[in-house]
Amino acid sequence: MAFRMDVTGMADLIHKLEQIGEKAQSAASLALYEGARVVADAVSREVQGIQTEPFKYAKGGRKRLPSPEEKEAIMGSAHGVSKFRKRIMKVDTSVGFNHAGYANVNFNHMNSKARTNYKEYAMKGHGSNSTSFLKATGKYERGLQNQKPIGAIAGAINSGTSFMKKQPFMRKAFSTSQGAAEAAIENKLREELDKLSLD
Amino acid sequence: MLTQYTALVSALKNLTQGESPNTETLPVAEYEWRTRPDTDSYGIVALEFEADALNGDNRKTARAFEGSVDLYSRRKDGGGWIELIEAALTDHCESAWTLNYHSYERETQIFHWEWAFQIEG
Repeated sequence: MAFRMDVTGMADLIHKLEQIGEKAQSAASLALYEGARVVADAVSREVQGIQTEPFKYAKGGRKRLPSPEEKEAIMGSAHGVSKFRKRIMKVDTSVGFNHAGYANVNFNHMNSKARTNYKEYAMKGHGSNSTSFLKATGKYERGLQNQKPIGAIAGAINSGTSFMKKQPFMRKAFSTSQGAAEAAIENKLREELDKLSLD
Repeated sequence: MLTQYTALVSALKNLTQGESPNTETLPVAEYEWRTRPDTDSYGIVALEFEADALNGDNRKTARAFEGSVDLYSRRKDGGGWIELIEAALTDHCESAWTLNYHSYERETQIFHWEWAFQIEG
């Protein structure tokens, strides 16, 4: 689904951003983080709602649900917000899992447009285009999580397979948080510009 | 039940390729229909949740619901069902659909396509 949203009605913000020049990127980063946080929170909520059942092999055309252990593997620290990529005109980040669905959130501070879009499986864990998701846990826990194919499990639950019932938690999280994320970006940007006391 | 969705489900269930003798349709449960066009391929259509915004003009002008169509096939080209499914989606969802995902399951040797769509409620 070609998800895209532009925040409009921010003419006053554009004028202010033009005035602060180099500081615009910093303000945009803070604003973007607020938007990404809203999306990440929605993902957390949807992960909590994933239905499970004790592990049982799928037979006779019946599709199985994920086991509680599989759900536990993708809960909490296993997903997050990637490092911010700062470019000349914009900053952007991604929310989600490696090898599974993720949402791109970016904010263009040259024209004050926030944009979000959602992709399935397009991100690779290795190579020049890879993005490593930061995790909120300590080093030891990160090591444990990395031993599990979290992205593959999340992808199988999110998109379904021939033997696992589909529960599109990532698509739902993103689809239902777009409006709130973009409102959060706009509010934070206004707050940051107010701090700079610009007229 | 949403009229537009019901029409889409009917269209998908009625998909046939010529006079294929293997064609059969299998109704399943509420909010989910399954169509088994042939022994090598089968599809599932489901309405999943209410979307935050209708995918048009970036504004929520009406309630929108999101769903998906999945095609599983042992054939790399989907046995010709891809074009038929996309034509049905275009007829009933206009341009509010996309091929969201495509994968190959090595263990079962099955190809999987997923289309996501939005319809007005």
